[in-house]
Amino acid sequence: MTDAEALPRGRHGLSRETVARSQRERLLDAAARVTAARGYEATTVADILAEAGVGRETFYELFEDRRACVLAAHQELLDDLVAHVRVAYEGPGEWVERCRATLRVLLEWFAADPALGRFLLVEPAAVGPEFHAIFQAGFDRFVAVIDSGLDDNLPDSHPLPATSLAVGAAIARVYGEVAAGRTARLPTLLPQLTYETLVPFLGEAKAAEAAAQP
Amino acid sequence: MVASCAEKTYAGTTIADVVSRASVSRTTFYKLFNDKRDCFDAAATLCVDRIVETVATAAAGHDSPAEATRSGAAAMLALLAAEPELALVLSGDVVGVDPGLVERYSAFTVPALEAIWESDGAPPAKHLSPGLAFGRAQLLVFHEVTAGRPERLPALLPDIVYLAIAPFAGHDEALRQARAAGVGVAR
Repeated sequence: MTDAEALPRGRHGLSRETVARSQRERLLDAAARVTAARGYEATTVADILAEAGVGRETFYELFEDRRACVLAAHQELLDDLVAHVRVAYEGPGEWVERCRATLRVLLEWFAADPALGRFLLVEPAAVGPEFHAIFQAGFDRFVAVIDSGLDDNLPDSHPLPATSLAVGAAIARVYGEVAAGRTARLPTLLPQLTYETLVPFLGEAKAAEAAAQP
Repeated sequence: MVASCAEKTYAGTTIADVVSRASVSRTTFYKLFNDKRDCFDAAATLCVDRIVETVATAAAGHDSPAEATRSGAAAMLALLAAEPELALVLSGDVVGVDPGLVERYSAFTVPALEAIWESDGAPPAKHLSPGLAFGRAQLLVFHEVTAGRPERLPALLPDIVYLAIAPFAGHDEALRQARAAGVGVAR
């Protein structure tokens, strides 16, 4: 349904507030929430149906099985996050400002709904071998977004792939907080994450300067 | 266990897979391990031990912390390029089975890096969190392995050197060392 380029709808594609009426969306939202709460292994189709208030027949018209539904929910959520990041990154201002805006949106996106953050980052590994490809594709999408709008005047970071280091820094930091159950405090880490993601591009002095901005 | 997890992930692995690959009986399996998770933990620990040993051997006997780090990093990448299943299990499955395990394994690495700097008399200044650098290095390695390019792992040397040095000596010095490490590395 949502393709990678789609604009975000509301604050969260799958959050309670903006849940669309369609049964598919209700099922995807339910799959994400039940899996986040119980873990993938313990989640059954019956759990998802109960949470979504949708019948079994409808479920199997839309999805082959539990795995397909959970993977579709994951894809939808990732699309939503990528869309939010893209809009922030393509906003107005100097490159450093745009980066800060992007990081702010990223951290707030996770803090707005910790359960969904957990579903996005922690649960896929339990789903099965698809996880590897999903993880890699997600990583590449963020790198592509950042690479699409780099400032022409950035210092040479050769031989380091600065974008990949920056995306890796952001994922590692957010993952660490989400896994530790501290998702809600993520927005307070903006200065720290600004430094960690910009230092591969800008060097110590300029990254510290960017991080110190109010 | 390692081979099966690398191919089908932990979730997709059954005890039947493990015993058939290992050519041992189910009875033997249960004599050695309580369950699948118990066997996985033992396998993951074995993977970590191999990496730690390889890095420690390579890092010993160097004059400067930067050299020791570079040598250790190169040895680790060579090991993972030859046996990518180690990286798949440690970076992929461990995360899914129990995120707490990752912290336990990073706890092997970080003190080892700190010791390299302390033995040189340099105070381990914390420019960036070493734990975070560990996570980022893990992501980079994992990224190459899941992309089916384990043979390109040695080309990550500048990145890994950067990540291992930046927490202690800062970005600017780490970039200098990464550039030095990148000489002669095909990317």
